[in-house]
Formats: sequence, structure tokens, C-alpha cells
Amino acid sequence: MSSNQEPRMGSYIGIVIGLVIIVGIEVILAYQHLPVRTLFFSLLCLSCLEAFVGIMYLMHVKYERPLLFWTMLPATLFVLVLLNYVWPDAYRMARMSLLK
Amino acid sequence: MSESGLTIGGEHGELLEASPYGIEKKKLGMWIFIVSDACTFATFLFGYGYMRVGSQNWGTPFEFPTILNGIVMTLVLLSSSLTMLAAVRAAQEGQKASAYKWLGLTMLLGTIFAILHLREWFKMISEGWRLFSNPTGGAAQFGACFFSVTGLHLAHVISGVIALLIIARGFSRGRYDASHVETAGLYWHFVDLVWMFVFPMMYLMNAR
Repeated sequence: MSSNQEPRMGSYIGIVIGLVIIVGIEVILAYQHLPVRTLFFSLLCLSCLEAFVGIMYLMHVKYERPLLFWTMLPATLFVLVLLNYVWPDAYRMARMSLLK
Repeated sequence: MSESGLTIGGEHGELLEASPYGIEKKKLGMWIFIVSDACTFATFLFGYGYMRVGSQNWGTPFEFPTILNGIVMTLVLLSSSLTMLAAVRAAQEGQKASAYKWLGLTMLLGTIFAILHLREWFKMISEGWRLFSNPTGGAAQFGACFFSVTGLHLAHVISGVIALLIIARGFSRGRYDASHVETAGLYWHFVDLVWMFVFPMMYLMNAR
């Protein structure tokens, strides 16, 4: 049950154009020959921005009760933070020369 | 009356409250699925990210035509999100023919995305790419990362097209209502947003 304040189709077109612009920035960044870590985190931040805009507007979370957002977000972030504790093991693999 | 506003009558009716989220149960179920699926994709992308950043000799195998193909795929998927929004809006306004048309266009765009993706896959396979074989001499894990992440996403797109086909047929026959279209739309937007991570991580990070 969404509220009646949902945007018109014109607003959605604007949001999608905004997402296309962010994709364009990502493509330009990819050809700037940045250090791998800088490029990775830049692209990750832009992707998170795209996801936030998409979740809030395209998936209508902005127009739902805030409780939905505040239930889903902490649960997702909790899992992602836990993943961040597990995956650095890849660096150990790199040091052990398991990656070519 | 929406499902979330209903309480069951009878002697126990006063014990039941409306959903605290103010949404229908099928939509809440879809949100829970999306959160769990987002964690699945995150697991793959975290693993890839750490290997990509940690590897000394990963390589950048993708020439511009491959990146251009990825850009076209991104535009196709973003356009499909727009047509999905139009389908949901038409369904909510009771315009069955219009909703059916927009759903059909969304399925068409999803199919185009899948064809472009498979074309890219077959081209890479013909060049010698395998799960643990890198013909360019870089990290052998690239194939495993690329095919598993993009394959998982492609499976979601194909599943989405099939789901939309079922919903569209059910909606046109009056078996499903606008809330079903809206719930399917949530899934479709999620698939679109996942690609917003897959494209930069798997394609742009490996652009030559």
C-alpha cells in the first residue's frame, strides 16, 4: 500500500536519465587509468549511489512507511559487514601466491 | 480494500492488527527475498572484489567493443525498468491493455539483454575463455568470477522474463491483480539494480 504521493512518469524518466549519467561517469572513470583500488572504490561508491536512488524511487521505498526501510537496511548491512570480515582471506591467498 | 488494511472478523478479530509495514504480504515476502538475494550477489562480488584488488597480475582483457556491448546492455535494462514502472502504473489505473503492452515491452527488453549477454559469452568461449582458463595470460580465476557472477545475474533476468510472462497472462485473464504486477516489478527493478554493480565491477574494472 503506497501513499498517493508517487511521482509521475516524467519524474521516473528523469531518475533513469540520472542513472544513465552515473553509468557514463563510471565509463569515463574506467578509462582514466586510476590505481586499481581507487577505481574499485570509486565505482563501488557510484554503484551504491545508483542502488540507493533505485531502491528509494524505482522500488518506491521512499513512498512506503519508514519502518520497511529501517527493517531491511540494518539486516542487509549486518550481513555485508560480516562478509567483510570473511573475505580478506583472499589477501592471504594472494600472499601465498595462490593467485597467478 | 488493500490486504494490509484487513483484519479478520469474528471473535478473534480484535487480536489481529494491520501490517506494521503497510504493505501486502506478497510484497513483504518479495522484499525479504530481495534482501537475501542481495546478500547472495554481495557474497559473489565481495569475493571477486578481494581477488581483483589483491591479485598482482589480474589483467584487463576487455577491449572497447566488449565495454560498448555492456553499455548497450545497461541501457536496455534501465529502459526495461522504465517500461516496468509504466506497466505497474497502468495496472494500478485498471488499464489492462496498456499494462499488458508495457509488460510485453519489458519482457522484450529483458530478452534482448539476455541475447546480448549470451552473444558475449559465446564470443569469449570461442576465444578460449573457460572457468579456470585465461587466454590472455592473466589470473586464471577471471573466467570463474566473470561467468559465475554474470551467469547468476543472467539466470535472474531469464527467471524474471518467465515470471513476467506468467504475471502478464494471469493479469490479462483476471487471475492476478495490480498488486501482483507491482510485486513482479519489485523483482525486476532489483535485477536491474544488481546489474548496476555487475557492470562496473566485472566489465569496467577489466577495461583495457
